Amino acid sequence: MALFEVSGFKPELRGKITAAGQTHVVDRPNHYTFGTKTQEFAVPLGVDPSGFLKSCSQDGGVCIDLNHGTTTLAFKFRHGVIVAVDSRASAGSYIASKEANKVIEINPYLLGTMSGSAADCQHWERLLAKECRLYKLRNNHRISVAAASKLLSNMMLGYRGMGLSMGSMICGWDKQGPGLYYVDDNGTRLSGHMFSTGCGNSYAYGVVDSGYREDMTVEEAYELGRRGIAHATHRDAYSGGVVNMYHMQEDGWIKVCKEDVSELIHRYRKGMF
Amino acid sequence: SALYSMALQDLSAEYLDESPIEFGQIRVVQSSSAMPSQDSMEPTFSLPIGLPLSSSHSVPLPFPMSHGTTTLAFIFQGGVLAAADTRSSCSGLVACPAAQKILPIHSHLVGTTSGTSADCALWKRILARELRLYQLRHGRRLSTGGAAKLLSHMLQPFKGTELSVGGQQCFGRERSGPSLYYVCSDGTRLKGTLFSVGSGSPYAYSVLDQGVQWGLTVQEAVSIAREAVFRATYRDAYSGNCVDLYHITSKGWTRRNREDLKEEYYREKERQRQKHKA
Repeated sequence: MALFEVSGFKPELRGKITAAGQTHVVDRPNHYTFGTKTQEFAVPLGVDPSGFLKSCSQDGGVCIDLNHGTTTLAFKFRHGVIVAVDSRASAGSYIASKEANKVIEINPYLLGTMSGSAADCQHWERLLAKECRLYKLRNNHRISVAAASKLLSNMMLGYRGMGLSMGSMICGWDKQGPGLYYVDDNGTRLSGHMFSTGCGNSYAYGVVDSGYREDMTVEEAYELGRRGIAHATHRDAYSGGVVNMYHMQEDGWIKVCKEDVSELIHRYRKGMF
Repeated sequence: SALYSMALQDLSAEYLDESPIEFGQIRVVQSSSAMPSQDSMEPTFSLPIGLPLSSSHSVPLPFPMSHGTTTLAFIFQGGVLAAADTRSSCSGLVACPAAQKILPIHSHLVGTTSGTSADCALWKRILARELRLYQLRHGRRLSTGGAAKLLSHMLQPFKGTELSVGGQQCFGRERSGPSLYYVCSDGTRLKGTLFSVGSGSPYAYSVLDQGVQWGLTVQEAVSIAREAVFRATYRDAYSGNCVDLYHITSKGWTRRNREDLKEEYYREKERQRQKHKA
């Protein structure tokens, strides 16, 4: 996809491949729009997504309840950024997958987490990955975490009110050091030291707030991330599976562990059963 | 003494026939001198004497009630520990920063409240009265399970109305050891070893899950409970101000001094600042 744009491809062929509804060629020489000016989706004419969704969330009508059924957490500390997520994908009360991958590896220096609608997250973060790659090819240096998160947040703003559901954390290490941003389907973009998203986030907040210190050792930080997800999956019905943990260091991210949550809980609560 | 025995007889006759307390069961109104004259075809709440219940169909609430609180309780080897914050909120306004959410019912039974404070306070007092009457009639105290059952049955007629007695927990320590029950106005009654109720409960739950074990000392249990409430007040806007701690043993309940969480927050900030300097 990225190569397609950068290389000089014939516009006639492109016109046959691009989505219906786009009458002109998508940005090529003017690369500052980053796919936000023209809508990449073919929305049928005459349909008003925001109006339709409003009718769906009123009482008395059909209620589409978009819950972010997951727990993801990330925190910055002296030695980088720890990212920990669970792996349960639920569809209502059905567990669709117990080994879903909720972290997208954008490039060796950028990670994105996913919570909310799995389809939305995967699509938009892959789109973000494409834009980051394009940026690197055009400008010869890696995109900063702030810029990457801003791209994602602008994409969300372009479709605001149309029912997207995504809560994501963009983590990376750039020239300014470790970076952590929270991006929302409303377009919220916040920089911070610690975030947790999903419906299990409150359980994770309790644990991580309690044990967080800026000068933790790496092992302590791993343990804190594991505990946060484990306790959240213990209490929240929509989180479970395994803890996938990544550590963002100066020279890139490493995948730390993939541990089953029930084993972790048995280990932690040994004195309690 | 003749008068006395007659009065006793009357009392016992009343007691045997029917419970003098009616809790708003929806039924056709009986003609009674104490009640205002109403159309007998129209089902209304019967008006118990002395209870401030509405006399019509469910009255719309004057403003939306919000249930912001954090209360928790757990059992360990030293008895039962209960903790709660002290913020009483009213959709965005802190109505009272020094409310009391843990109300003692008798010397060995304490209940925590969450939900609408007016409802909770009222039902607590009704429960206390019923338990005292039971004690007088039968010469022994009602067990914690029995008290919880009584409360949940008293609340049952109001199921579906907008009564919110949220989660009340009754616990005590008696011959059989400490026990903890969770009672809710939608009819839930659960026996357990660890509960937390309110909008700040998820934050408290995870801290409690980490640390609560049977073999805790009293000091450790107190610090875990305090930490759990502190974490909940840290993240939840509707919980805050101070923390109340009650410890119940076989000798009865004891109350620790109310601690302002502001101090805890500043202590933590100071620690962070020291670390940054170092």
